[in-house]
Parts: sequence; C-alpha cells; structure tokens
Amino acid sequence: MTATSAPEPTVTRTDGAAGGELAVDVRGLGRTFGSGTSATTVIEHLDLAVPAGQFVALLGASGCGKSTLLRVLAGLDGGVTGDVTVARNRAVAFQAPRLLPWKKVWRNVVLGVPGATRETALAALREVRLEHRADAWPGTLSGGEAQRASLARALVRQPDLLLLDEPFGALDALTRLTAQELVRELWHAHRPAVVLVTHDVDEALLLADRVLVMAHGRIEHDVPVVGDRAHGSAEYAEQRGRLLGWLGVHDGEAS
Amino acid sequence: MTLTARPVEAPPGDRATAARELPVERLTSSADRRRRFRVPRAIARLSGVVVILAVWQLAAVTGRLPRTFLGSPVDVARAAGHLIADGELPAAIGTSLHRVLVGFALGLVVGVVLALVSGLSRIGEDLVDAPVQMLRTVPFAGIVPLLIIWLGVGELPKVVLIALGVTFPVYINLSAGIRQVDPGLVEAGRTLGLGRLGLVRHVVVGAALPQLLVGVRIALGVSWLALVFAEQISATSGIGYLMTSAQELLQTDTIVVCLVVYALLGLLADLVVRVLERVLLPWRQTFTPDDAQGATR
Repeated sequence: MTATSAPEPTVTRTDGAAGGELAVDVRGLGRTFGSGTSATTVIEHLDLAVPAGQFVALLGASGCGKSTLLRVLAGLDGGVTGDVTVARNRAVAFQAPRLLPWKKVWRNVVLGVPGATRETALAALREVRLEHRADAWPGTLSGGEAQRASLARALVRQPDLLLLDEPFGALDALTRLTAQELVRELWHAHRPAVVLVTHDVDEALLLADRVLVMAHGRIEHDVPVVGDRAHGSAEYAEQRGRLLGWLGVHDGEAS
Repeated sequence: MTLTARPVEAPPGDRATAARELPVERLTSSADRRRRFRVPRAIARLSGVVVILAVWQLAAVTGRLPRTFLGSPVDVARAAGHLIADGELPAAIGTSLHRVLVGFALGLVVGVVLALVSGLSRIGEDLVDAPVQMLRTVPFAGIVPLLIIWLGVGELPKVVLIALGVTFPVYINLSAGIRQVDPGLVEAGRTLGLGRLGLVRHVVVGAALPQLLVGVRIALGVSWLALVFAEQISATSGIGYLMTSAQELLQTDTIVVCLVVYALLGLLADLVVRVLERVLLPWRQTFTPDDAQGATR
C-alpha cells in the first residue's frame, strides 16, 4: 500500500509564528524524476521567498512544474535537492477535496488535530458557511460544498502557510466565483501566507498580491499585482495582457 | 407536462402562409387508461415454485415417483415435523452451526492477520503473499485426507477445514482492499499530520472495510460448502450426520429436509452480511445501494 511512505522530505521547519519572517524560503531547489538517460528535470535552481501573510499566485502552463513545487512545499516530495524551509504550521487544499468518504464532514475537518472537538469543527464550518452539513457524509456533498469542507479542514489548523492546488479547477463557473470570494474573505480574516497554484490569470489577479509565472522548471517572472483589480480598468487589462503574453497567449484573443 | 395541439398562427407580416396544424403528440398518460387488476409481483414470482411443488406432489401421489427415489413435498414436511418434534433437527443444526462459527472465526482471524502483514509492509508482502497465493490454488476440500491423517476424525479436522476455506477469500479481498487505498487520501492524511498508525486507523481501515466485507460474504458461502464436506468425515452429529444416516435408510425425505436447512442457513448468513454492511458502511448507502447490484450467490 501507499503508506509505505517516501522518506520524510528534507524540509527544515521554522516556527512560522514569528512575525515578519518568511513563510516560504526556497533556495536552489531541484527536482528530477527518473534517473540515467530517462531522467526528466522538472524544477531546476529555483529560488522563492514568500513573506508571512502574502498571497502569491503561481501561474504556468501544464507540466511547468508548478504542482511539483506545491507538493515540495507541502512536504509531500522527498526527492528534492536544495534548501527548503517552510512554516511548520501549514495546510493544503487539493484540486479534488480528498475528504475521507467514511467520516462525517465534521470529523474530516478536525482529523489529525489533537484535542479538537466537534465545536472546533463547527466553528470552522461556520466560516465556510457549511455548518448545516456537519453531519453529512462527504459523498452527499455537491462539488462546491466538498471544496468548502476541504477549506474548513485547512483553516481549522490555523495555518501560517496555506497551499492551494487549483482548488477551484473542478468547480462550475458560478460556484468558482463564490469559492474565490470565500478564499479572499478567509485570507483577510486569518492572514496566512498563501501559495495558490492556478492556470487562470483572472483568478490570480483577483486574489493575489504577487504573481509568479513558472516555465522550464524555474520562476521566469515575479511581479506584484498593483492598482485597480476591477475588470475593465486599464491597469487590470494591461497586467492581464502581460501575464497572458508570458504564458504564450497573445493578442488578447481570450475575452 | 401536457402537450396539446394548437394551430400555429402565421406571423402577421407573412400573409402567404396560411395557418396550419403543427403535428404534436401527447406524452403524458391519459386519465382514461384502463386500470386492470394485477397480481402482486411477490406472489406472481412464487408461481413457478408452486407449479414445481404441485407436479412433484402429483408425481408422488400417482406412484410415478417412488418414495425411495424422492419423497413427496408432503413427506418432506412430515419428516421435518418429526425431526423438529423429537429435537433431532435442532440439535443437529446447533452442532453444525457451532462448527461453522468456530471455523469461520478462526479463518477470519488468520485471514485478516495475514492480509494486514502483507498489506502494510513490503517485507510482509514478500514473505506472505506468494505462499498464500500458491496455497490458494489447491482446492481446499482436497486436503481432507491429509487432515484426517493429521487430526483424526473428531471436531478439529472439521473446524480446520472450514477455517481453511474461509482464510483465503478473506485474505485475497482484504489485502487487495488495502493495496487499493486511494493514494490521494493517504497524501491528504499526511498533510493533515497523521502518522503511520493514524493513516492505518483513519484512512486504510475505512478504505479496506468494504472489500473485507466482500471477502466475508464469499467466505460465509464457502464455509457452508466446507461444512458439507467436513460433515462427510465420519460425523456422529450435525446435519451432515443426519443426511448420512438417512442415506443408509433410504429416507429421501430427511435428506431433502437437510438440504432445505442448508439453504436456509446460507440465506441467513447472507442476511447477516447485509446487516453488517448496513451497520459498518453507513456512508456507502447514499450512492451504492446493495440491492441494485443483484444477488452475488
């Protein structure tokens, strides 16, 4: 079975509580899959620092290594080279909600939290407006509800670093808008550092302080999000056009 | 929904097209459809059985079916009445049930332990899996002669035979269940701070339980089969003994009674598994109703 785990990753942990520190500090990261002639290098000489409380969006085309980077930050990838230091207190929300189907929603939320009670779970579920589904089986939740439960599960750990791996990718357009709004709200309320992996430029501009564009195994562009985030503003259009250009989409053909 | 025909008016500007009838059809059932009396389905499904019983009885009454070949349904019922009244049948059922329970429990424990050893560690898998897979291909009933040599003809070989039959389906299903745990859930568990023991407790057990119950269901069927074989080993009590002694006296009706008892006990075992599934897997009922999959036996 798969629990015969890979060796614990070579991740040193800081005590993320200290203010003004880095939630993510990556130096010279490399990740190669396979060996010999069939070796594929997915990440090479990558440096990244994310200060506590910052919301970073990680953009990139499929296969550029952004999900691999997120897995490294989550401590799920043991085969890396380089120095990786991340906040000890971190939580992950995956693209699929990955709730345990045999545990009720509230038990999923507090799974692995020492000393947590039903009240703890309910408080977190209230924040994502899912309190009424606390006793439901995950299999009966809609896609949006399941994703909110997964967010509540991340939140309840009061992370200093929240890692989001395309958490809205599988949601329909309307549900996605609500979920994005919710993430923004939660970030304002709790102020964790966030690394959001996405391939949606609008989502990145809507949520993040800073956008990273990854290509060829490294971070090619690293820009702050500035000015008016409202759709239709000149600044928004300009940033959007530039990001899309970096991702290989030109002429603004996407509306 | 009711669709009714309505003439489609030609648009006012287009006078050349005259109003015409659009062909429509009514999709909802009309109220005046005749309601005929119907035999309830449950009763209708019994009709085949009734016909067979009637023909069987008729054949016996007309003398076409000698009693020494096969007793009539009425004979069988009478024999059952006698066997129950003098306590012989309840005692036999008790003995047989006891054998199955002990053998089943033994086989379940061995199967579960082996599956855990093989499923939870690489070394365990290397050590356990290949030998078990090899032994599995031996038809367990073929071991009877060896069991008699080793263990004599008492209760022990009977129980061991049943346990052997039970161990393999439990092992195969549970170890497969453990290996098929969704790696995504294991990963999620790790990010939630679960250690190895926590992963087994919260993730592996939950994921493998449905498969274990599949194994248990198959094993219960097998244990009944094993019981029939086991009780042919010079038994002096139990349903199998009842049958063997009836065979010597050509009491076909008693043999049929025993067969019916075997069938009923098998049915009961199935019911037990269904109840277990309902109790242990409440989360599954929402999307995999067991009844939709049909009978598995």
